Amino acid sequence: MTDPAADLLPEGLEDRLPQSTAAVARIERAVLGVLDAHGYDRVRPPLIEFMQSMARRMDGVKTRHLFRFVDPKSLRTLALRSDMTVQVGRIAATGLANASRPLRLCYAGQVVKIAGSQLDPRRENLQLGAELIGSDSVAAAAEIVELAIASLEAAGATGISVDFTLPDLVDTLAVQEFPLTPEQVVAVRRELDAKDAGGLKEAGGEAYLPLLYASGPFDEAIEKLAGIDTVGVLASRIEGLRQIAHRVSGRARLTLDPSERHGFEYQSWFGFTLYADGVRGTLGRGGTYSIGGTDEAATGFSLYPEELVEAVKAEEPRQNTVFLPLGHDPAAGAKLRAEGWRTVAALSEADDPARLGCSHRLEGTAPVAI
Amino acid sequence: MTTALTFAVPKGRILDEALPVMARAGVVPESAFNDKGNRALSFATEDGAMRIIRVRAFDVATFVAFGAAHAGIVGSDVIEEFNYSELYAPVDLDIGHCRLSVAEPKDASVYSPGNASHLRVATKYPNLTSRWFERQGIQAECVKLNGAMELAPSLGLSLRIVDLVSSGRTLADNGLVETDVIMPVSARLIVNRAALKTDARVAQLVERFRALSESEAA
Repeated sequence: MTDPAADLLPEGLEDRLPQSTAAVARIERAVLGVLDAHGYDRVRPPLIEFMQSMARRMDGVKTRHLFRFVDPKSLRTLALRSDMTVQVGRIAATGLANASRPLRLCYAGQVVKIAGSQLDPRRENLQLGAELIGSDSVAAAAEIVELAIASLEAAGATGISVDFTLPDLVDTLAVQEFPLTPEQVVAVRRELDAKDAGGLKEAGGEAYLPLLYASGPFDEAIEKLAGIDTVGVLASRIEGLRQIAHRVSGRARLTLDPSERHGFEYQSWFGFTLYADGVRGTLGRGGTYSIGGTDEAATGFSLYPEELVEAVKAEEPRQNTVFLPLGHDPAAGAKLRAEGWRTVAALSEADDPARLGCSHRLEGTAPVAI
Repeated sequence: MTTALTFAVPKGRILDEALPVMARAGVVPESAFNDKGNRALSFATEDGAMRIIRVRAFDVATFVAFGAAHAGIVGSDVIEEFNYSELYAPVDLDIGHCRLSVAEPKDASVYSPGNASHLRVATKYPNLTSRWFERQGIQAECVKLNGAMELAPSLGLSLRIVDLVSSGRTLADNGLVETDVIMPVSARLIVNRAALKTDARVAQLVERFRALSESEAA
């Protein structure tokens, strides 16, 4: 007798079975192919690191969300990675400190967090991404946005939508244009985050209200933002956004939400969020930032394709598979594999090709559809 | 993008005030919506462009946060309680005003050597309550109740309660006094973040409600 509860998986974790794994593998391969083709070299950081080293690289990594434990060897705190971007930052600052810039790196791997939320219960995610280290210029940002869109296209996402934002907007405006005390900056940012018009007024950020409404389709929203910026402190940012939008126009639906801060805790002047049709929530995000410790400028993006996999896994096409009966010609099987077929060899007379998921059967040297 | 927009409205208190506002923004439910005998939970709008679902206030926030509904109307108390990252509240509808307050018995014992570091509080809003007490340096042990909070102090369930207060009558009738206001509450238009970014109709809906609230403020 088996006890079904004995093999229960912890909350927020799941086994991916063949069909969804096929979708994950296809997406991962497609995205890494695009990144490699654009000159991004893949790196493979470890799953576990000293917590301190991960924490110092970026403000956005909250150590309380990390799986932590004490290293029996060094007696220091170890953590499982929750974001590979910080690891790539560390590599750029250490192992590849002397490599010439701009440095183009990409990565793919599993990341975990210690607790899920009701909205996002998943505790393990696949993260795929690319970092352009040594530059946070408009040209770098445009390259990264274009690369992110190309990656999603290759992954099979449709109806791609990119939402631009200016993560340091409030800090920039609070200096002079719409002055705020440091405590108010925190509150105003929070209410802008939730797009809470009522809350924003209560937090003393009434001057920031127009920002809430300067969002929408890129061309309209950028005009509204330019209208708000009477002093011109945002002029270079607005011009940068226009250039980036121009470079990717026609490839995706573009929107602008200048005050968006969700998930942009460590980004500097530019950030973007990626969406696709039929995929719940965000598919990925990116932007400009500086690597903690060295303050080197960088631009990058990360995709979290799990929800895309959920959306496409039922339709993931099964590859043609040919059944090789007992006593078949091994050379014929090898030839078919070389041509891209999958083969399933019989172990006994009782093997049934259809039940083993085969679409074809080898007869002589040619596959015949079942 | 041919699916109808789904709009979630809360049962009860806010709904009566919300319906005229919705009507002015062009969201008018079909007549079956007002038929008390009708047990359906989902209704079309008169123009057929939207679907209106009627659920509990707390569930309005959840439906919208998950993207199961595109937009909805709910009190800011509920928004704060969940603090969902996927929820935007772009328009303050200026209806359903009340406040969320801490209350305790009128004749609470005055014995208070120093400040408490731990308190038991009965409330419908455990997250909001523990966050507020945390900021005062107090670890609040919240007892989640779904109604009749006012009974808790007199029966010894907890000394304090956190609940919505509008006139203060219910508190007074149960021998309680309001000690602190945690937040003023009003009804907000809420939308799902991804829906706002990817579906132009959601942005248009926000724009209609916003124009309405601005013309009323003027």
